[in-house]
Amino acid sequence: MIATSAAGPALRVVVVNGSPNRPSKTMGLVDVILATLAEMMPIQTSRIDVYELGPEFTGVVEREQVSPGVEAALKLAENADLLIAAIPVFRGSYPGMFKHFFDLVDQYALAGRLVLLAATGGGEHHALVLEHALRPLFGFFQALTVPVAVFAAAADFDGTILLNPRVHGRIQMALTDVADLLRTRAPATAAH
Amino acid sequence: MTFEIGIMTFGEVTEDPVTGRTPSPRQRVRETIEQARLADQVGLDVFGVGEHHRTDFVGSAPAILLAAAAEATEHIRLTSSVTVLSSEDPVRVWEQFATIDLLSAGRAEIIAGRGSYTESFPLFGYDLRDYADLFREKLDLLLKIRERNPLTWSGRFRPPLHDADIAPRADGDTIPIWVGVGGSPASAVSTGRLGLPMALALLLGPVTYHEQTVELYRAAAAQAGHDPATLPISINTHGYVGRTSQEARETMYPYFAKGMMENNHQRGQGFPLSRPAFDAQVSPGSGLLAGSSQEVIDKLLTYHELYGVSRALIQMGFGGMPQKEHLAAIERLGTEVAPVVRRETATLAGRTA
Repeated sequence: MIATSAAGPALRVVVVNGSPNRPSKTMGLVDVILATLAEMMPIQTSRIDVYELGPEFTGVVEREQVSPGVEAALKLAENADLLIAAIPVFRGSYPGMFKHFFDLVDQYALAGRLVLLAATGGGEHHALVLEHALRPLFGFFQALTVPVAVFAAAADFDGTILLNPRVHGRIQMALTDVADLLRTRAPATAAH
Repeated sequence: MTFEIGIMTFGEVTEDPVTGRTPSPRQRVRETIEQARLADQVGLDVFGVGEHHRTDFVGSAPAILLAAAAEATEHIRLTSSVTVLSSEDPVRVWEQFATIDLLSAGRAEIIAGRGSYTESFPLFGYDLRDYADLFREKLDLLLKIRERNPLTWSGRFRPPLHDADIAPRADGDTIPIWVGVGGSPASAVSTGRLGLPMALALLLGPVTYHEQTVELYRAAAAQAGHDPATLPISINTHGYVGRTSQEARETMYPYFAKGMMENNHQRGQGFPLSRPAFDAQVSPGSGLLAGSSQEVIDKLLTYHELYGVSRALIQMGFGGMPQKEHLAAIERLGTEVAPVVRRETATLAGRTA
């Protein structure tokens, strides 16, 4: 878990990082999403790296069994003003660790919460994982997924730096669509 | 920009699928220099040697083959196609190409690339996890070496240089450095930002395959303050210039199919390229620069129109094309194709000027 804070009232953005790699293209994509969002409104960002939660996370099957550290990570995600679900495509879907995290999230905790879907993959042919795997997961949670989801292929990156301006444009579009809604969700304007 | 036409080779040592014979490496290096000599004599503009570190190619040290070619030629430009810069020491690359530049009175060029194969990484002790960082850093160093001498520089992958005197210098003002781009949007953008000429590689697919690549390249160049109109783009593709349309296809097909079987893998192994699939790749809407002289002229003009390319490098020896046919195709490219393409593109330029 990494937390950075902005001065004053800020949108609490929580990234759930489904990549096992460090650095990763998936976080390279998220970096651009966060930078773009920060230009639109004050934000406070936190990140949960599901692959680094350890045996206290991987060894449990029920929410009641989790350690205080894992409980804090789950609570953080459950209370986000904007959740960014970011994954590399693994075996045609989201990675197992990522799903395991959401298997522990309370069934109704994300109802009505804004969730932005982001994924990276080897090629464009993986892009529909966003719509066919990730969006139904948050459909179950009755979350408010941002209509435009963001995908970037390996060829869009120089290492882990996102270079393709078309993907930058798509990020801008995804966030602009919901910018007004996001502003109403920041703690200063909405009673939390 | 006058349109430039050239050939490139990796020095293929492939068993001939028609005769069953495999040329010896000694035969292949001699034949490679003979190709350069003929290309020079028939007035082609560029001779390129690519880099593969495998026994089925003799081109693991392009600089040495190019040095030999320098001695056998007078006018043709001599380029790597490409130098796998990520696994090279840029200081050594510069020294070698500056030497070729002196030997050839200013005809040396470098196409720096990441390489489509990665066999050189373990050979020279590099980690594939550093793939992107290696290329970025080494290209930076190569460009700095070209720009000034002595040089002070430091990076992650080699010891720092303190006031280092790197010699020889180029024969003339400079040595052209191109960047080889396979079509990934990120490569196009990073090359454009640097304002470097782009050598586009196209293996298979529609002739329009690189439209987005070129668009991204020009936009990135303009955004970084470079004038896209002054940046040359080259297309590098497989091909063959035959006596007739039919002869070109009949001659090229068995070798190209063999080359694809040995080099283009799916599920870890080669797969057969059927004749209809090959014919489709040679059709006017596809990328291969193959056919009769007139077909190749038309295709080159299509490339020029689509992307504004001012250079084309054609690889005609893929899959072990026999020397006799290879030389015949080089001659047709130089005497029948190149003059028409140069004239037509010059006329087009005059019309738009």
